[in-house]
Amino acid sequence: MEKCAKGLLLATLLMCATANAAATEDPLGSPMWDYLRTRFLGDDRYRFDDRVRVELPPFAEDPTQVPVTVDASALAQPVSRIILWADLNPIQHIATLHPLDDRVAPSLSLRIKVQQATAVRAAVLAADGVWYLGGRFIDAAGGGCTAPSLAVADPYWESHLGEMQARLFSPYQPQGPGRARFRIIHPMDTGLVDGIPEFYIEQARLEDANGTPLMRLELSPPVSENPMLSFDTRGVDALRLWLRDNNGNSFAARVNGEGG
Amino acid sequence: MRLRPPGWLLCLLLLPWPLWQAHGSGFDYGLEPRLVAPDTWLVEGRREAFSRDNGGHIVNVAFIVTDAGVLLFDTGPSRRFGEQLRTAIARVTDRPVVHVFNSHAHPDHFLGNQAFADASIWALPDTREQIARDGDGLAENLYGLVGDWMRGTEVRQPDRSLDQALFEFGGHRLRLLAFGGHTGADLALLDETTGVLLAGDLVFYQRALTTPQTPGLDVWRQDLERLAALDYRLLVPGHGPLDREGRAVPQTDTYLDWLDGLLSASAEAGLTMNEVMQTPLDPRFADIALGRYELQRSVSHLYPRYEQRALEPVQKASPAPE
Ligand SMILES: [Zn+2]
Repeated sequence: MEKCAKGLLLATLLMCATANAAATEDPLGSPMWDYLRTRFLGDDRYRFDDRVRVELPPFAEDPTQVPVTVDASALAQPVSRIILWADLNPIQHIATLHPLDDRVAPSLSLRIKVQQATAVRAAVLAADGVWYLGGRFIDAAGGGCTAPSLAVADPYWESHLGEMQARLFSPYQPQGPGRARFRIIHPMDTGLVDGIPEFYIEQARLEDANGTPLMRLELSPPVSENPMLSFDTRGVDALRLWLRDNNGNSFAARVNGEGG
Repeated sequence: MRLRPPGWLLCLLLLPWPLWQAHGSGFDYGLEPRLVAPDTWLVEGRREAFSRDNGGHIVNVAFIVTDAGVLLFDTGPSRRFGEQLRTAIARVTDRPVVHVFNSHAHPDHFLGNQAFADASIWALPDTREQIARDGDGLAENLYGLVGDWMRGTEVRQPDRSLDQALFEFGGHRLRLLAFGGHTGADLALLDETTGVLLAGDLVFYQRALTTPQTPGLDVWRQDLERLAALDYRLLVPGHGPLDREGRAVPQTDTYLDWLDGLLSASAEAGLTMNEVMQTPLDPRFADIALGRYELQRSVSHLYPRYEQRALEPVQKASPAPE
């Protein structure tokens, strides 16, 4: 009888341990996981959770412009930080988001560079002190009658550096969020190509019309050339985006809502 | 350019040989020319994307057998393909291949050129320029996608420029049509003697079209308008089955129209690239192979232009203090 109870207890404990392992074991099976977890999350508590949505296509048609969307809205608790990285990039860190206000969703869409097939991950620090992780694998073999990048050294950006385009879109679905999209001319050089020093936007801040910060971002060189950043917003009719690169140039733009 | 075998190949060579042989299966493309019109033969490609399984045999290749010799339209994705094509042609005629046409600068259409070094290889002047500029990169890229089927493949430039509108050969009167909607330089060929239109990649049929170098979907649609006005009995698309009912051009045009509308409307609604890639496919194209795959590729190639059109230049705000 006692033996039986002990056995049951052991079985329960084992089950708990297994359930825990399932939430903390890398579902993408990436060789870099342990190293990068320690680097980005330290010894903090974490778990893998499908509510952290990371969207990207299954293959990188253009490895210099891979669209990525990260969205932690479904966690349904306040989020203080989101770190986005690609395991097998020479520079793993892509962006860190600090959502600061309910009027902007804990999400971002942008485009990134991938060097090879890799896991792309988002780690979301929620109010309960736990990091929630989402991610997806992308194949970078290219496809079909793909050409290599035809972009030759084009001095276009030199005279247009920091020029921005933007628009604040009305909600796509009724009751849904509005969307702000910003595009800025910037080479986002990684420093990994011989003779071209790193030159990239490293900080950004999204603000409302009064200058109240909504989200702060730290960006790294894997963000694609001429960054295109999309934010989901609620109840704002004008926004400002401020950016600064590692050479000390700063750029800012203001955008008004449709009809605003 | 010399193509080096990738590392995985070396590993493969270390495997016990029966396993290795099963994997390699002799690199036989299984080319079977089919007589589709008087003097006109078709080697039809599979309705697939490039893979190690198909070795790049996803493209249609056609040839016309005349008293003066053979005229070949496109040469396939690799040296092996070109060599096997040459053998397949020799099975149906003992006349030599005299003229080769490369319809455009996509690798599956010209990398078989090596096997026809003794023929005149013709292309539009801009196609020749594109092959000279991008050919090595395209070949290397294809090596990555299909593997050792590509062994020994090197770019063999087309050596003759097509600038005439008519080409008479062996009793066939061929009208040369220079377009640009697919890659900026796209050749179609109408055999007025038989009524066969070799459309190259300006027309895809039952296989979703590809857009990596299109100058614009509107340019492509203008080309199709001109193609539709031609008097032909049978159309050989660049990819997909041949068309005797006049359906391939309208299908290509309908798809381009849909894609253009989708990209414009999405950009105007502020959608991200990922959202557009996940758009439900139009039921009209349910039977077309590789719909989702090619939509993802096309969004990647084309959506940035539409996004930029939908965005507005912004007022510069004064840089904020930190
Ligand atoms: Zn093509």
